[in-house]
Amino acid sequence: MKKKMFAAMMAAVLAVTGLTGCGSSASEQKAQDQAQADVPTEPFGDAVKYDPSVAINDGKDITVELWEWGSDDLFQKVIDGYTAIHPNVTIKLVNNPWEDYWTKLPLALDGEKGPAIFNVHNSYHENLINYMAPLDIPLEDLQADFTGVDAHVIDGNVYYIDYGMMTGSVYYNKAMWEAAGLTENDIPKTWDEFREVAKKLTIKDGDKLVQAGLNFNDDFHQNYLLGLNYQMGENLFKEDGKTPNIDSDAMKKTMQMLVDMYEVDGVGSKDFGEKGADSFGQGQSAMVIQWGHYYNTLKTTWSNIDFGVFEIPTFDGNPYAYNRYNGESTFGVNKNAPADQQAVAQDFVKYFLANDEAQVEFNLAMSTFPAKKSLASNEKILENPSLKVLAEHIDHYIWPGPMPSTVETSLKKAGQDVFFNGVDIDSAFAEAQANIEKDMKNSSFVSVENLYAYAE
Amino acid sequence: MFRKTHPLQSRSEIVLRDIVVIAMVIFFTVFLIVPIGIAFVGSFHEWNPLSGTYNFLGLENYKEVFTSALFGKSMINTVIFSVVVIIFRVGLGLGIACAINSALIKCKSLYRAIYYMPVVTPMVAVAFVWKFMYNPQIGTINQIFGLDVNWLMNPKTALLAVMIMTIWKDFGYAVVMFMAGLLSLPADAMEAAKVDGASSWQTFRYVTLPLLKPMTLFVVITSIISYIQAYVQILIMTEGGPGTATYLASYIIYDEAFVKYNFGYASALSFVLFVITAVFTWLSFRVSGKQD
Amino acid sequence: MKRKISTIALNIFLLALGVITVYPFIWMLCSSFKQNGEIMALEQHLLPQNFTLENFSNMNAHFNFVRFFGNSILITVVVTVLVMYTSTLCGYVLSKYKFKGRNLLFGFVLSTMMIPWCVTIIPKYSMIQSFGWMDSYKALIIPAMFSGFGIFMMKQHISELPDEILEAARMDGANEFYIFHCIIFPMAKNGIASIAIFQFLWTWEDFLWPYLVINSQEKQLLAVGLKMFNGQYSTDYGALFAATAISILPVLLIYLFFQKQFIAGIAASAVKG
Repeated sequence: MKKKMFAAMMAAVLAVTGLTGCGSSASEQKAQDQAQADVPTEPFGDAVKYDPSVAINDGKDITVELWEWGSDDLFQKVIDGYTAIHPNVTIKLVNNPWEDYWTKLPLALDGEKGPAIFNVHNSYHENLINYMAPLDIPLEDLQADFTGVDAHVIDGNVYYIDYGMMTGSVYYNKAMWEAAGLTENDIPKTWDEFREVAKKLTIKDGDKLVQAGLNFNDDFHQNYLLGLNYQMGENLFKEDGKTPNIDSDAMKKTMQMLVDMYEVDGVGSKDFGEKGADSFGQGQSAMVIQWGHYYNTLKTTWSNIDFGVFEIPTFDGNPYAYNRYNGESTFGVNKNAPADQQAVAQDFVKYFLANDEAQVEFNLAMSTFPAKKSLASNEKILENPSLKVLAEHIDHYIWPGPMPSTVETSLKKAGQDVFFNGVDIDSAFAEAQANIEKDMKNSSFVSVENLYAYAE
Repeated sequence: MFRKTHPLQSRSEIVLRDIVVIAMVIFFTVFLIVPIGIAFVGSFHEWNPLSGTYNFLGLENYKEVFTSALFGKSMINTVIFSVVVIIFRVGLGLGIACAINSALIKCKSLYRAIYYMPVVTPMVAVAFVWKFMYNPQIGTINQIFGLDVNWLMNPKTALLAVMIMTIWKDFGYAVVMFMAGLLSLPADAMEAAKVDGASSWQTFRYVTLPLLKPMTLFVVITSIISYIQAYVQILIMTEGGPGTATYLASYIIYDEAFVKYNFGYASALSFVLFVITAVFTWLSFRVSGKQD
Repeated sequence: MKRKISTIALNIFLLALGVITVYPFIWMLCSSFKQNGEIMALEQHLLPQNFTLENFSNMNAHFNFVRFFGNSILITVVVTVLVMYTSTLCGYVLSKYKFKGRNLLFGFVLSTMMIPWCVTIIPKYSMIQSFGWMDSYKALIIPAMFSGFGIFMMKQHISELPDEILEAARMDGANEFYIFHCIIFPMAKNGIASIAIFQFLWTWEDFLWPYLVINSQEKQLLAVGLKMFNGQYSTDYGALFAATAISILPVLLIYLFFQKQFIAGIAASAVKG
């Protein structure tokens, strides 16, 4: 029943978006009339319910801005679905490209004309949290519907949660896999097996690398250093949740493994391909470990590569956790916006959370695994191979919290120092540790690694 | 002389003068002096507009500037970068301007236009193009020269690569400047040299070059000012890497101000950089003054 | 004979340099007709193997190109014209009028050229915010109305103009407004042209300031648009190169049109240091 209603609703939404494209007001009016006929009138959702029959802003006209950095179509679709229910509400979409977004949004929120609703990315948590209003939805309802809500609770309030979880998996080139005589049965479970496979996938002409078995150039910090530590049971932050744990044995062991794979195993080279992700797409590297978004990149930019995906290997088959994940966040509500605009914003967030169709669409668009529990076995989600490999152990991934960006950039520098500047691993990590500590001196960040479901 | 002391004669002159002077004073006060004042005061504070912090720190920010190894390293890079690029910019500009200007060359304005093209192209786009050309696997440069160099990731070549790109982008500006300089040389001086039987090298060395000095100084000073502030090419091509090998002073300021939002520390860095710019500008005036 | 050899050598040298200068542009132009996969492909060809106009037609996926382009033209023309006018006016007053504090004022204007953008941009931003000029073209135009560099150039330029003409006009009873607009302006046209080219280029290329103060897509400028090809996870190179190719056209045209005056103008202002 629920599904059917959504299908009808989305059809209406599509009709609206399709017709507004012509720009003629007559057809817009017609589409609106039509949409009004099909919009849901019954409450929908799981624990978080949305009741379309409640008027917003007493039915009076109101305009709010929604800022985002991603695909306009994706957002517009949700907006259209919402404004079909509440024709008195106009939501103006403002797109800023990723980098500009983070320069401008905080500054705009600091002023008086900031947007009432804005897309959030948890990596910029500290820049935004002071401008955000707590969600007007009971905590128990959110917890009932979504995983990982606890990590977002601040003094009993929730300001945003994840709609999807993204993490790293291994992408391999099927043609190269076959050419190396490998089969489905050779998919490695452990790092030792993985290294053997990588060796088999490497092709050299004398000393010159022709095909890299593995390429982690330019993404070792994100996809290996910040995550494999969990397999060894070490967190990224010490007990107090504030002191970084970068200068650690787990981190060094991971780095040593990366160095060995290039320098001992010779399955790749720091100079072979500027970026592992591009090199894989260029058909020069047989394997890369990439996060979910890579699935979309392969589909759009590198459409001629036939690839498969498998779960990230572990050291002993029984890890503390498989990897780090990061959430794609739900929208934020601007606490400085006028009260009537905030009310619309709150209502819009609730609509977004209760709307399964929108949840699936957003997760597919970002290649993230749905945080909404009822969608874990959704057919459309499992059709995406990069999400399918995560399904089995998705609860064995850790989110450390919205780490300040210095953690990532400092580790990138450390890795570059090791690979390119001849710095030894110990001093590189000691320096990274010092830099991160300095940058985080005034940070309000507290790790939520202790909220991991299987925390010891 | 009459014109040196001529008194204000008409009402309209007084009115025009007053309007212009007042407008200038107001404008530069509001958009330069006041902001500088705010930034200067801010440089003694822990100032983060996002978290709303504005706490007095005293000299703490400046202490950090002068003890920061990264800032020291980036200043060395900035000096290397500026000096090398300016030398090539001025040298190439002067040489090419003279070459184009010589009687031997036709299509002068075509060359002038071609060399000026990179100058009018946004740095953002140019930096991306060169990043591709420096790519170790698919880049044009390695392919043409049959090299296997990871230009932007090798600490020995990264800054060099960025400098080459910058010289490529900017030498055309100097060409046009020097061509303008050559155009304004007094014809009689050149004639006199010719009559005296000076070789073309001698004419260049003893007549053209000294007469071009003000223009050279102009190019050098505008270059110092703009190169000490350069950051876009670093932002796009290396992000300061590998490690911190290509950090420039302005890149740190950009990073601190608009990535980390440490406005206070960024302001302190800006003032230090301002003083250094002023010193270098003053030095180039002094050096050129001594030669007279 | 010797002359012939040096002619050939010199021409070859300049031509070679010309090729080096132009090559990246040709590469960029060719790439703008390629798909991203081909731009990054291992097999590199200068000419597009699968010719596509997608980058041009898809530009609107990132931003409204025509709109941004139009906005940029508008703002750049307005700012350039204003700066041309104010620079000439200030240059005239500073070079031809004698008054107390003139040198101080000029010295001050000169020193403004030395202040790095980074010193003032942060406070300027908060000031614009408190004036309520955010997301308005006031924020782009008013702080750019006077240019230290322009005033400096025009002062140098106008002081070279003979006083006698001005005196003659004054004798004839012309007022200062007439003298400025009808005598100085036409006489200083080369200087004004060079200011125009410099200013046009700077305003056209500047992205940090508009990107900080302009929020609405309807008002945004092209230079900022060029940064919009950087996504969260990837950069759309093809579209970037296509947009750049179009965006440098106006500046190039302006330069080609006014090349002669530009060089003559610089010749008449800066060299006299």
